[in-house]
Amino acid sequence: MNVLLSGGCKNGKTGFAQDIAVLLSGGEKHYYVATMIPYDSEDRARIKRHIDDRAGMGFSTLEVPRDIASCLTLAKPDATFLVDSVTALLLNELFPATHNGDADPDAVNRCRDGLLKLAAGAKNAVFVTDYLYSDAIRYDGFTENYRASLAALDQALAEICDVVIELCAGNVIFHKGGLPE
Amino acid sequence: MNFIIGGAYQGKLDCARKKFNVQDDEVFTCTEENGIEFCARCIDKIEEFTLWCVRNGKDATEIFKEHHAKWADSVLICMDIFCGVVPLGADMRAWRDMTGRLCAYLSAEAETVTRMFCGLEQKLK
Repeated sequence: MNVLLSGGCKNGKTGFAQDIAVLLSGGEKHYYVATMIPYDSEDRARIKRHIDDRAGMGFSTLEVPRDIASCLTLAKPDATFLVDSVTALLLNELFPATHNGDADPDAVNRCRDGLLKLAAGAKNAVFVTDYLYSDAIRYDGFTENYRASLAALDQALAEICDVVIELCAGNVIFHKGGLPE
Repeated sequence: MNFIIGGAYQGKLDCARKKFNVQDDEVFTCTEENGIEFCARCIDKIEEFTLWCVRNGKDATEIFKEHHAKWADSVLICMDIFCGVVPLGADMRAWRDMTGRLCAYLSAEAETVTRMFCGLEQKLK
């Protein structure tokens, strides 16, 4: 089963996604796939908070900032993968390890292919993404392109996922499917 | 009138095409410069019209009320720009407020209201 979880920030998405991943795993192997590359102390504090939050839940952590389909070779595909988050993955793919400072125009296609491959190859996958689309701000070209690209990934995942959930102030809205009892 | 709202890039115009069989040549796309065309079967990016109103000292809801008969059977599309943080600029704040008030009015007038989320339809009315 594949699940897409979206919503605004500080909404409980990661915590809820962890619960879903544990539920879907049915006690079998489950991985927390960390995509964020920490750049400063704020990022490192955030990562520590997430590690503490999932302590005792039985997750193994995979750090996969790019090439998300590599989860299937880094780990046993017959497992549950929680990808946190699509947002950070796209940002990393936009700026490959050897880049010249310009955003890579192929990043969104590469991300889409990788995410769909992971969804098709894994036993279960839970994808966390961020909802950045409903404010009254005129963004610069790069940010606007980033939003459009993330929205394209969200739509591609929403189409193939069995369950699509929005978290709104910690409240759960099911846009597609439902979770197993 | 059928009203479609949602965030940027969520598939609002696609919804108009699929759900209400809107053809591309029936769509009027508002911009800050060209205002609005109330006779079009589908009016897209109404948030750009509200920005035009803010810049020109007009009230978007009042203008919609004046032209009610023309859009009574249309498909109207607006971005829900009123969900985010209150912007710092006074005109952006006015834009956000005016769009929020207009959407509340249009929702009340609509036969159906659909919110698009990641390409999926959510029926609000």
